[in-house]
Formats: sequence, C-alpha cells, structure tokens
Amino acid sequence: MASSAAGIIFSSLNNNTLSRLTSDRTVAAIPFACRYRLVDFALSNMVNANISNIYIVANYKYRSLLEHLGSGKDWDLARRDGGITFVSPFQASNTADQAMFSTHMEALKSMKEYIDEIKEDYVVLTDSDTVLTIDVNDIIRSHESTGADVTIVTSSVAPDYTAKNPRIMISSVAGKVTQIAMSASFDERHPELALGIYVMKTEYLRTLIEEAEAYNLNSFTMFLLKNCKSSNYMTYRYTGFVASVSSFLDYYKYSMELVNNEKSRDSLLGKKETPIYTRVHNSAPTKHYPGAKVENSMIADECSIEGTVINSIIFRDVTVEKGAVVKNCVLFHGTHVCKNAKLNCIVADKDVLVSEGVALSGNDNMPFYIQKGRKI
Amino acid sequence: MYCKKECIAMLLAGGQGSRLYDLTKKIAKPAVSFGGKYKIIDFPLSNCINSGIDTVGVLTQYQPFALNEYVSNGQPWDLDRIRGGLYVLPPYQGNKNSDWYKGTANAIYQNINFIKQYDPDYVLILSGDHIYRMDYSKMLEQHKATGAACTVATITVPMEEAFRFGICNTNPDGSIYEFEEKPKNPKNNQASMGIYIFTTKTLIEYLENDEEDENSSNDFGKNIIPNLLGNGEKLYSYRFEGYWKDVGTISSLWEANMDLIGEDPILTLADQDFRIYSKNTARPPQYIGKDAVVENSLISEGCRIYGTVINSVVSGGVIVEEGAIVKDSVVMEDVVVKKGAAVYTAIVDSDTVVESGAVVGKENAGKDEIALIASGSVIKA
Repeated sequence: MASSAAGIIFSSLNNNTLSRLTSDRTVAAIPFACRYRLVDFALSNMVNANISNIYIVANYKYRSLLEHLGSGKDWDLARRDGGITFVSPFQASNTADQAMFSTHMEALKSMKEYIDEIKEDYVVLTDSDTVLTIDVNDIIRSHESTGADVTIVTSSVAPDYTAKNPRIMISSVAGKVTQIAMSASFDERHPELALGIYVMKTEYLRTLIEEAEAYNLNSFTMFLLKNCKSSNYMTYRYTGFVASVSSFLDYYKYSMELVNNEKSRDSLLGKKETPIYTRVHNSAPTKHYPGAKVENSMIADECSIEGTVINSIIFRDVTVEKGAVVKNCVLFHGTHVCKNAKLNCIVADKDVLVSEGVALSGNDNMPFYIQKGRKI
Repeated sequence: MYCKKECIAMLLAGGQGSRLYDLTKKIAKPAVSFGGKYKIIDFPLSNCINSGIDTVGVLTQYQPFALNEYVSNGQPWDLDRIRGGLYVLPPYQGNKNSDWYKGTANAIYQNINFIKQYDPDYVLILSGDHIYRMDYSKMLEQHKATGAACTVATITVPMEEAFRFGICNTNPDGSIYEFEEKPKNPKNNQASMGIYIFTTKTLIEYLENDEEDENSSNDFGKNIIPNLLGNGEKLYSYRFEGYWKDVGTISSLWEANMDLIGEDPILTLADQDFRIYSKNTARPPQYIGKDAVVENSLISEGCRIYGTVINSVVSGGVIVEEGAIVKDSVVMEDVVVKKGAAVYTAIVDSDTVVESGAVVGKENAGKDEIALIASGSVIKA
C-alpha cells in the first residue's frame, strides 16, 4: 500500500552542542544503541509506515551519513519512484551562496522545487537528534481527524529537564496548541517538549515556504511562533521512550538508560512489527570466550569478548581482551581494549585502541571521551 | 541478450538431507541454519561472489519453498545483477515428459540451456552440503593452466574415514588416473569435495552421452568422472587446504557448530576480507542480563540472555530466561528457553519453546547422543 505521506529528515542543522561526537560527522550519523546511527530511527519509523519518498537534508560533514545510507537498499528505499533523495547545499551557477542553508526554513526554501513535485498529500518532517520508535501512520490519522494545520509531536518533560540549546516548548488545551515558547529548561507554563516531528498537508508546507519567503523568515520555529494564535496547531502526545540528544552528556545518559531500563529498551528496540533498519555489515555473531563475563550489557555483532563487560553498550567489531574490565562504557565499532585495561564511564569513538594495562575513568556526570582512532 | 561469462556456477541444492531427520522435514538441507546467523547455502554462495563468480544457477527439488524464499533474488550475496546473477532452477515440464532431477548429472543436463545462455568457457559444479570458505578462482587458474577437461577439488581426510568419500588417485603432477567412489580399501586419503570445474564443451558432451545410457545413475561421482577417465580425458585434482566439513548428519552439524567456539576455534567466520553473507533480519543488538552467565559461546543479534549459556551456538532472537541453562548446544532462531529449563547437548530448531522446568538432552552426552528438537516444538516439563 502506497503511503499518503512523504518524509523530510533534517540532520544537524544548527547543532553544534554535540561537539565531540560531531567533530567528524553530522548528527544523523552519530552511532547509537549498539548498531544504529541516529538517522536509522527516523528512517525506520517512516519505512515502517510505508513512506517511501524521503528527503534527507544535511549541510555539515555528511560523508559518513552518505556512506551509511548507500543506495538506501538496507531500508528498502532503493526505489524506482522516490526512495532516498539527498538534499545538501549547492553553489548555484552565478550567484554566490544562493542555495546555502543553515536553518530548517532555509533548507526548505532551497528544496522548494522538490517540494513542488511531492505527489503525496502529507509531509512528515523530523529531526534526527530525537530518537524514538513511533507509529507515524497514527500521527497522520490523528492529523486527519483533528483537521489541524500542523500536528506537533510532543512528550511531557520532567521538572529537572534541561537542554544545552533552547528547545520548542508547548502548552496545549485538549490537544490544541495554545502557546509556543523557546526554553532550555522545564517551564510549568509549557510542559510539553516538541520532539521535532511535524505532520502537515504538503499544500500547507508549500504555503508556509511562500510565506516565509514573502516575510523573509529564516526560522521554522519563528514561523510557528508567529502563526500559533491564528492557526490550528494540534499536539500528538508520545509517551514511550525518547532520547532527545542535545549534548554529549545527554548522549551518554540516554545510552546508559537503554542498558539499565528494560522498558526504555523495549520501547525503542523491542517492537517486532516495527524493526529498526540499519546498514547491513554482514558481521559474524559475537564470540564470548571461556572466562568472559558479561553483565547487563548490549552487544553488537562480530565482537570478541574475553574479559569483563558490565553495564555497557558495545558496538560492532569490538575486542575486549583477557583481564580487561569495561564498565559503564559506550564503545564504538572497532574499539580494541587490550589485556588488563580498565575502563569506567568512557565513550570511545570508532577504532580506538586502549593498550595493555591502561586504566581510565570518567564519572556518571562527566564521562570521558576518546577521539576516533586514538591510541592510548 | 548476449551475455558471455567466463565461468558460471551450478549449485546442486535439491538434496533432502534425510540424515538430518527433523531438521529437513520441511526444508531442504541447504536451508538448514548454521553458526548463529547463517544457512548452509550461504557458504557456497558467498564463496562464489568472493571468487568473482556472479552467475549462479541454484538447482532445487526437495522442499524448495524455504530455500527459494531465502535466496530470492540473490541480493544478500550481491547476486542481483543485470547481467547474470542468481537463478533458482527447479525441475520443469518439457515437451516429451516432465522430469524430476534423477541424479546430480541429470539435474545439470536438464539445465544445459541455462548454461548455454551465458556461453561460459567453464562451469563450476557445487553442492549445498558443506561448510567451507574457498576461493574458486584459484582452482579455475589451475584448471586453465593444466588445460584439464575437468578439475576435481580434493581435501585430505583421515585415512580411516577415506572409505566414506570419493577418492582420487593421482600422479605426482596432480593428474588423476583413478577415481574410486567409496572404496572399501582406499589407496590414499585425497577425497573429492564434490566441487568440479569442467571445460564447458566436455561437460555438455559427457552429460548428453550419459543421458543416453539407460543404465547410468546420472551421477557425477559414479558416472561422469569415471567416464571421463575411461576415455582418457585429462583430469586433475586441486588440493584444497582449509576448513571443510560435510554437515549431512546431526552429529557432524553439531560438531561443525562447536568448531566455532573454544579458546582457539578451528573455524572463524569474522573474516572481513572473505565475508560470509547472509540475509539480514534487522534484529536489535543482543542483551545480556544482570545475572546472566555467557561463556564460550556464539551469541547472535536479537538474543536476550538472562540465564546461563555455556559452550553453545545461539541464533538470532533466542530468549534464555532467568535460571535457565543452555549447555553444549546449538539453538536456532527465536527459541525460548523458559525459567529453570535446561538444554544439554542438543540441536533445538527454530521457534521451539522449552517450558519452565523442562529438560532437553543429557548433560555431557557425546556427539552420538545429541538430542534433536524439531522446529516449532513445545517441550513440557
């Protein structure tokens, strides 16, 4: 069944608060949950809702994202019609920076020709730094039944909520958005956090872009703020697990929550009917050696575990040698932990080598980050 | 469309594998699971693509549905090609009569037109019964260098087991002067692996002649190879060194799985330069629980282990609950071993539920006493 919606996924526009993890990659390409990249969740949510015409917008270090996506085959998105269309800034022939963009609205303006050609009735816009498994068709059904101009997916936030960047906070009455504000912390007047997922009629998006051009509006958020009172914006409340990754510490905390909280893990990864797709690497199963000890951990394929792994997330092709102890860590693919090394509260980027006997420790609130390819 | 290939492969995947009993009740032997995330057929197919062979005919006959669905368009092995690729070749109805494949040679004979379509110089004949990694391009190089009509891949087997194989007796230069199918008194221990490279012209000529011989059992080992030798054709053996195992019996399938574990495993599949490809199942990462014990085992994606797993090979999506134990066993996809249940020295086929408190198999049993649980069983306490 063809979907009535097209998808637009934004990667890392304006997001430099994840500095360490994004020094070499766009936000959408950040590895997460053992075998995925952030973009996999947005893509899989759409694919699981039969959406097969998806635009991916990126303006920043998108090499690893392109490599990850390939032809889109691994998400069943290598299609004759639609599939993945990659949208990046380009230099227009004579006029400098005509198609450069750094905000959502600028990106939407620059891809106007694509949007004009969308045949589907609806568009689903989503950021890639919000990680969740959600039924997109249910949002579309809700959008249809309320007759909203825009449906904004929200989740309630805890009173101790703080983000590195101000986020879009919302208050609503019976689902109708009454106020939109920008805030970096919990604000009881606007207790809902917008998750960066919006559903609207394609026609509405076209009008929105025209209006933004007419008023020279460069921010999608400003558009929402400006039109909140005069338009019919509705919320769609999501109550499952959400990782809204706005800082390195967030990243670590959400990773640890996945390991420690079965409910969160099941909400994100445990739904059999909506699997999360990712690039296929054809890795062999993971080998646990005699004497290995693994407790409360998530482990990807092709790892060699000879030592001890506790409360950790271990990506593909990681080796933990004899006597090594890995605790409360996130080890990206290709990490090699040599004999008797001790790691605690570490996030090791791709292909890190931790030499024999090395001991390194961060703490819960300040995990230690090891750069890609470092030898320690 | 004219689409010449230097060498194409014909993979005999019709075998029932009756000595695998319940495992092959509903599926052909090449579709049997192996090593946590593979099917037996992944090995020859991956070998082909890793050897630069991009056209493979897969000959099916017995219970082909699972196999057909699994290989589908060949995409997991990069065999979905515009020119060439993977084709499933079931028996079909001809003008004269409809024919099941009578023997290995007859199966190829019935698909001569498929071969001719690619006008290959050489045809590689494979079977879907073995676990091994082999670069066929090296064998092809030797075949071309010797100018042989046929090259037979051989492997050294223990002398005391040689009587179970087709044995190649060779001259010092590797040319074969005698081929004995399952000899009572083998003269040496160079066993045929059932892998042949033929020069196409010779293959077609001998297949056609063999078809006319009513007394022939239309088999490569029993008829074609001896006929070639009898007519003085040049046959060479290609000596393969490396892991190769026939997994045609419950004990050999179990043993081959066990070869993947241990301090220094005999067989390692994590070779990034020679990947074994398989169909992707999009399962989440494995999760190992707080009180779990996992030792000396291969664990696949989607597994959730809360109990104990020792000396075992566990396929995707298996759940081992608290207090359950799996030891010395091969557990296939989506099996659930409930609280306090035990699985010892067993092969448990997919989708089986071992109920709480139930015990499968005997602890420390030998390879001849392996418990076999059919797919979809419910084992009660």
